[in-house]
Amino acid sequence: MKRKKYNIIFSVILIILLFVILYFAKLYLDDYKSRILNLCAIYTILGLSLNLINGFTGLFSLGHAGFMAIGAYTTALLTMPIPIKEQNFFMAPLISPLDKIVWPFLPSLILGGILAAFVAFLIGAPVLRLKGDYLAIATLGFSEIIRVIFTNTQRLTNGALGLKGIPNTTNLFWSFGIAVITLIVMILLINSSYGRAFKAIREDEIAAENMGINLFKHKILAFTIGAFFAGIGGGLLGNLIGAIDPLMFRFFLTYNILLIIVLGGMGSITGTVISAFIITISMEALRFLDESINLGFFTIRGIPGLRMVVFSVLLMMVILFFRNGLMGNKEITLDILANKLSKKPLTKGGVKR
Amino acid sequence: MKKIATLLAIILTISTLFAGCSKKEQQTSSSNSNSDVIKIGVFEPMTGANAAGGALEIEGIKLANELYPEVLGKKVELVLVDNKSDKVEAANAAARLTQKEKVTVILGSWGSSLSMAAGDIVRKAQIPAIGTSCTNPLVTKGNDYYFRVCFIDPFQGTVMANYAYSKLGAKKAAIVQEVSNDYAVGLAKFFTDSFKELTGDPNCIVAVSNYNTGDQDFSAQLTNIKSANPDVIFAPGNFTESALLIKQARQLGIKAPFIGGDTWETPEFVTIGKEAVEGATFSTFFTSEKPITKESEKFLEAFRKKYNHEPAAVAALGYDAYILALDAIKRAGTTDSVKVRDEIAKTKDFEGAAGKISLDENGDAVKNAVIKTVKEGKFTYLDTIEPKK
Repeated sequence: MKRKKYNIIFSVILIILLFVILYFAKLYLDDYKSRILNLCAIYTILGLSLNLINGFTGLFSLGHAGFMAIGAYTTALLTMPIPIKEQNFFMAPLISPLDKIVWPFLPSLILGGILAAFVAFLIGAPVLRLKGDYLAIATLGFSEIIRVIFTNTQRLTNGALGLKGIPNTTNLFWSFGIAVITLIVMILLINSSYGRAFKAIREDEIAAENMGINLFKHKILAFTIGAFFAGIGGGLLGNLIGAIDPLMFRFFLTYNILLIIVLGGMGSITGTVISAFIITISMEALRFLDESINLGFFTIRGIPGLRMVVFSVLLMMVILFFRNGLMGNKEITLDILANKLSKKPLTKGGVKR
Repeated sequence: MKKIATLLAIILTISTLFAGCSKKEQQTSSSNSNSDVIKIGVFEPMTGANAAGGALEIEGIKLANELYPEVLGKKVELVLVDNKSDKVEAANAAARLTQKEKVTVILGSWGSSLSMAAGDIVRKAQIPAIGTSCTNPLVTKGNDYYFRVCFIDPFQGTVMANYAYSKLGAKKAAIVQEVSNDYAVGLAKFFTDSFKELTGDPNCIVAVSNYNTGDQDFSAQLTNIKSANPDVIFAPGNFTESALLIKQARQLGIKAPFIGGDTWETPEFVTIGKEAVEGATFSTFFTSEKPITKESEKFLEAFRKKYNHEPAAVAALGYDAYILALDAIKRAGTTDSVKVRDEIAKTKDFEGAAGKISLDENGDAVKNAVIKTVKEGKFTYLDTIEPKK
């Protein structure tokens, strides 16, 4: 009991420390570096939300890009100033209530998340009866449907032309703030009775049902919560870049997030956070591989796309050597750190779950 | 075994991170030591869906860099970054050019949506960008730091409407558009507007059909169009789909001529469409048959010598973007990006390889359009259309 209290105090200190660091980062980092950090935080949110569905509940869903599109478009349409809306919709005017509404960032973001969650709830009802590959195909199809709908609703989403001039509200405080909130919600959820039920469903559905777990209720809960955070992540991403179009939300976007959770470990929160940071930062740091490299005596001609090869090799290594990703389903918790530091024998149930 | 693998993976990832850092230090030190280099950023899709288009433009930019390697007595260095045909990456690449590489001007990109993702970044960093073939009007609208050397969709749509009305004598037109492509949708819209104005008939567009990128079968759309019996069919879209569309239309017995936009000007259009695309007419930026300016002759000669094939229109646009940037730096007499921006904005009657360029108040090029047709399996020059002054 005492340990739990210390843990909470320590977490609060850590979070405050993080925001102090962010404050200085915001002062001293240029736009390029803070953009990469923002992306790290956003990919953490997206990774965590997909991991809740895929890693913890064991539902192989590929519909994340669709939920993100819903969140991104909702947030963008609500936060864009009226003159910019008029400029964007030069082909056909925006449908009526939306063209006069301008909301602050936070409510728009939350509404984006709620809409994504609502859609997830609606499609979850029929789709979550499927299992394994069938579920993957159905959710993939769903995200393509969202994209095609957004392409064709000219007066709502500006169709293929996309939206431009979305206010760049996303900054380090927004992205990291929401990432921390997501992290806390995920940790609390996973350690609650619901979390245990999710994991039971992942391990064995029939056994879980025998234990009295309502399969459908828990599956749809995980799916909806995951979609909610995906919508928020999408909204943050749209307002970070400042321009969105339906082509942005192709399957590749889901694949990027899938890469993060597979590398980090399906079913590990810390793994997702670590791999979101590693992948996003190294994607930029590895850019020198695309350029010509001068070794002094001779020059290697740059091959565009070489940095992507590194990720393919990394993915192959992970699949070959660590089936379960970098962290598997283990976590780095404060308990473990404290034990490591004090070199006390591990307490029962304190480490491995 | 597992421990070794863990160690290996950790070392690999860490070493890649460090490799990135050490490279960065090198670069900053080198750019500090020789400030006699002017950096021009090139931001193009080199991988991903639009890689082919990006590669063509880089050909033109590299050629221009070889012909004009110096300005203000300093060497010009091209900094190429890949935007992966992806919006998130495009924004990162633009931020990298403006913040880390500290370039004077940015050139690119192929694809309007990628340019739009960079728009806010160049505006905030106050570094001018010159678009090569991004034709969507939204790219430069409301952005003082984005310019372009190509004409925009409204002009191209108007040119084709004029062509259909006055040269083909069409009174009724049908539209088949690639609905997931911003370029095709924009072109179709402006074609519709000016065709309605020309004919004075609000019902002159007898049918509008949509298809998606990657579609193979167009029989539903074509049956619809056949029953409407138009004089001309305007079908802006990707070359593969357009070629298939025209082929299937001829098989269905549709005789009306097809007209389209500059995306058709690729060898694949003819190889897929074969004899079905004979007579297909489209507007484009440039022709290698009839040099427009002195610069075009120079460009054509050097291009054929270096690459051993005929230049694509976008290669000429890449070339133009580079020489326009150089000219602006020369006029400004400094590498101060705000002053260079002001000089770019003043550009008037600048002689580029793809025609004379004057920039209007939005930063869009006002220039000639070229009309070409497919004749005996080759793209043949038909006409040059002057812009309305």
